[in-house]
Amino acid sequence: MDYFVLQATNGAIIGVIYALIAVGVTIIFSILKIVNFAHGDLYMLGGYTAYYAITFLGAPPLGALALSMAALFLFGALVERLLLTPLYSERTERKDEYGLLVTFGLAFFLRNTALIVFGPFPLRPRSFVPGVAHLGSLTVTWDRIFAGALGVALIIGLLYFMHRTLWGQALDAVSQSRESAAIVGINPRLFNSLAFAVGAALAAAAGALIAPVYSLAPDMGVLPNIQAYVVVILGGMGSVVGSIVAGILLGEAEGLFTAFFPDPTRALAYTNAFGVLVLMAVLLVRPTGLFGRRHVRME
Amino acid sequence: MGLAGVVVLVTLGVMLGPLQALLGAAEPIKLGWVGPLSPPGGYADGQLMKDAAMLATDEINAKGGVLGRRLEVSYQDTRGLPEEGTAAAERLISQEHVVAIMGEFHSSVFLAEMEVAHKNGIPIVAVDVWANKITAMGYPEVFRVAPCQALIATQWGNWIAAAGFKNVAVLYEKTDGGQSARDVLLPILRAHGIRYDVVGADLNQTDFTAQIERFKTHTPPYDLFVTIFSEAGLYPLVQQSYSAGFAPTKHTGLTNSGGPATTPTFWKNVGEAGKYLLTEVPGLPRAKWNAITTAFVANFKKRFNSPPTPQAIESYDAEYILADAIKRAGTTDPKALIAALEKTNIVLGRGRYTFATDHTPDWHYHQFVDAPVHLIQYDTVGQPPDGAPVVWPRNLATVSYVYNRPPR
Amino acid sequence: MRGLHAYVLAAAGVCALVYGHLLNPYWMHVAIIAMFYGILAASWSLLAGYAGLFSLGHMAFASLGGYTSALLVQWYRLPIPAGMAAGVVLCTLVGAGIGWICLRMSGPYLAIFTLGFAEIVRITFSTEDEVTGGMAGLHTAPLFRAATDLPYYYTAFGLLVFSLATLAVIARSRWGLFLRALREDEQAAAASGVAVARFRTLAFAVASGFAGLAGGFYAHYVGILTPSVGSLDLMALLVVMAVIGGMERIPTAVGGAFGVEFLQEALRAYGQWRLVLFGLILLGTMRFARNGLLTPAWLQFVRLGEIRGPAPARRGVGQEGSGP
Repeated sequence: MDYFVLQATNGAIIGVIYALIAVGVTIIFSILKIVNFAHGDLYMLGGYTAYYAITFLGAPPLGALALSMAALFLFGALVERLLLTPLYSERTERKDEYGLLVTFGLAFFLRNTALIVFGPFPLRPRSFVPGVAHLGSLTVTWDRIFAGALGVALIIGLLYFMHRTLWGQALDAVSQSRESAAIVGINPRLFNSLAFAVGAALAAAAGALIAPVYSLAPDMGVLPNIQAYVVVILGGMGSVVGSIVAGILLGEAEGLFTAFFPDPTRALAYTNAFGVLVLMAVLLVRPTGLFGRRHVRME
Repeated sequence: MGLAGVVVLVTLGVMLGPLQALLGAAEPIKLGWVGPLSPPGGYADGQLMKDAAMLATDEINAKGGVLGRRLEVSYQDTRGLPEEGTAAAERLISQEHVVAIMGEFHSSVFLAEMEVAHKNGIPIVAVDVWANKITAMGYPEVFRVAPCQALIATQWGNWIAAAGFKNVAVLYEKTDGGQSARDVLLPILRAHGIRYDVVGADLNQTDFTAQIERFKTHTPPYDLFVTIFSEAGLYPLVQQSYSAGFAPTKHTGLTNSGGPATTPTFWKNVGEAGKYLLTEVPGLPRAKWNAITTAFVANFKKRFNSPPTPQAIESYDAEYILADAIKRAGTTDPKALIAALEKTNIVLGRGRYTFATDHTPDWHYHQFVDAPVHLIQYDTVGQPPDGAPVVWPRNLATVSYVYNRPPR
Repeated sequence: MRGLHAYVLAAAGVCALVYGHLLNPYWMHVAIIAMFYGILAASWSLLAGYAGLFSLGHMAFASLGGYTSALLVQWYRLPIPAGMAAGVVLCTLVGAGIGWICLRMSGPYLAIFTLGFAEIVRITFSTEDEVTGGMAGLHTAPLFRAATDLPYYYTAFGLLVFSLATLAVIARSRWGLFLRALREDEQAAAASGVAVARFRTLAFAVASGFAGLAGGFYAHYVGILTPSVGSLDLMALLVVMAVIGGMERIPTAVGGAFGVEFLQEALRAYGQWRLVLFGLILLGTMRFARNGLLTPAWLQFVRLGEIRGPAPARRGVGQEGSGP
């Protein structure tokens, strides 16, 4: 297999995983209009929940995934009720700043608590599908393919939910205008909780899917957090399609950079910097990302 | 009050004198422990080192303490930041009046701590920091129980040459440990005429597949993949290297320096991929374990539910060394303590400890020169480090081969 | 007496100077580090609290200033103040550049962009270890050779006072007003004639310059500089400090820095739990006392000595008082 094609394929698979992580951020942003800085830590919690479900409850990996999503769904709703309700009040000024700061604080809190609760040693749950597959001369573990495939399935499911079901359309309505939605009889408070909960569940799914690939550690969410934002902003906040495209783009960019950067000593070290550089370059040209609409502040 | 009252008061006062002395004698001896317990430091290893020190403290106190006094250790989290090392050392010395400090896992932090110790003349024992500079600076307060880079990387370099490797890929973690390991290893490879390529990776890197694929395209193909990685990053690295069919294979060996391959969670994370991996153990090989080593391993397992790492044994021994030095000095006076430490000659979990007092080479000074380091190569999945075949140095080897080439 | 609070502050400052030598080495070190964070918190609050530019690159500028100074002194044998000045100049210029690049970005976009910048800086310093010493640390020339840290204490104090004075002057001037307008509503500000581009760039330049100053001092005080100074963990801590204290006013941000730093030291034995505690306090502060925990106390303090008259008529709900 041509070296380029090999690296590009690998990059695409990684990119789908990035997209999966980013989609949760996008959902939360499009409904609540805030950037969830704690997304990486919800991802981390999802991974650990799945691990403990497998280890202590003896759940099969898929069951653990579902359990993890359910648990983080509830946790997300709880967080939303506890911390995010000022977003809906007239008295709160600069709502997006508030959202940023409070999710930042949540991330800080979760990460440091996780270190104490889960301990510092990396853990690895059982594989979903053991073994490797051979795509030409590229060897890919089945776990990665599974993560990518299930990720795509979840995203498609999400899109279906958003556009074809009543609840999903209600969510969409709230994202366009809270007040109009309220007039039509949709309870915005309920749907805001729902949005955050769905976002958290998606993060948990990503964490549970990727845990066998990269192992679990309390700070495993730090880098994916940054990468998720890069993807979301590249793709434009609020655009699910944009997140998918941007995710794959980022995966490709990083993979090809490592593969072809002339100085082999530095290639890997600067790969993450390169991803960020791509982001910076795109933001310079299109400040709202590739697919984003103009950043709308919460009314 | 009258004469009677005065007599009573004076008697009480006279009695209080010896009472004071008695109470004073019950005053504990304070030691300070420094190390990373939270990010951005290496908190996993730091925690194990702290656990081992706690075990040592309890054991020493159960046997009556030191000089009839309880031993008390104050634990300071230094988070892998030199500025926190300074703060911790300052606090231990000027606030808590410790008689000696021990610990640390990051060389850059220890370098900051030892400056404070040196300024105050307080002895400080380096537990698991490998930079040559630490002892090369020549501060009389500084003693080191861990091997230094010169000692470790030399073992690796000699092994690589003896095993016949000619073309090596080196992937190191961009930390102080990784950098100094790289800096010492590369000249040794050069001296043996071995070709190498070096790649650095960030601490939180978890995806190496692109890099591994790039390694695979190199001509001539690498015959050894040397990884210098600590903590979490190693596990995905080993797995991805194995699944990509890069190393360990018949054509390319795999080594790791830095410690995670000897931690309890190694096998849980890498599984089959870890078979045939080589790693160093900065401790005694199983065959050379003494009663103290065996007891420590058993007690640690019982109390903390996991086998100890070599760093843990270093931590345990360091506290015993300090207790022993205080006993021999008969006092907690720093200068006397330093003199006593220099004369250390005690058998503990890692063998017989002595500290060199010469300066040739410069890192010799107050270094435990005979610090045991041996290289093991796993040949079964799930093998504990103390049960794995020792391949280097040859006088400690438990198998006839220098390198066990994987069949596929 | 109007301005009584200023006299109180001045008196406190004089006490800190005069009695500083009584501190034991440990507390002196803690005080110096607290002042370091104080300068950073104050300058960050100008950027994020006044101008509403939530930058996560602040510690990166501190590290940039530190490395610049340390390396220039090492290579060219510059006197350290010159090295530090060079660091400040570089950070001001780069800060202005970042501010200009980010002109059209707002809120979360800006945060992520500056986050990316910070990571690039950290990765570069870490990778180019032949030049910077990387994670093994760069040994820096000490600012003073003295038996105690007292000269450092005075220097830090002087730098803090200088920074606070300059930042206060800016904040209380028309510029400060324009910056506040930017935070509230940029479009309205532009419509009212505020040169948005100029002031965003200015805010970044000034804030980054002070960060570089703090970083330069830090480099020549601590003696070993690692890229971890610019890490996201420390940046997060800085945000915690400023927000808990009150990011909208410079004195409360500095107060937050002092408070968190001393609390961190007091609880050192608890290791990781300290950060959990700070996280909880931060969440509580954001949820229930968004202006910061010190702000009510500060507002009372500022009114010290004023004659108590009838309470002024309540203005609308949700308005913050103007003030220093």
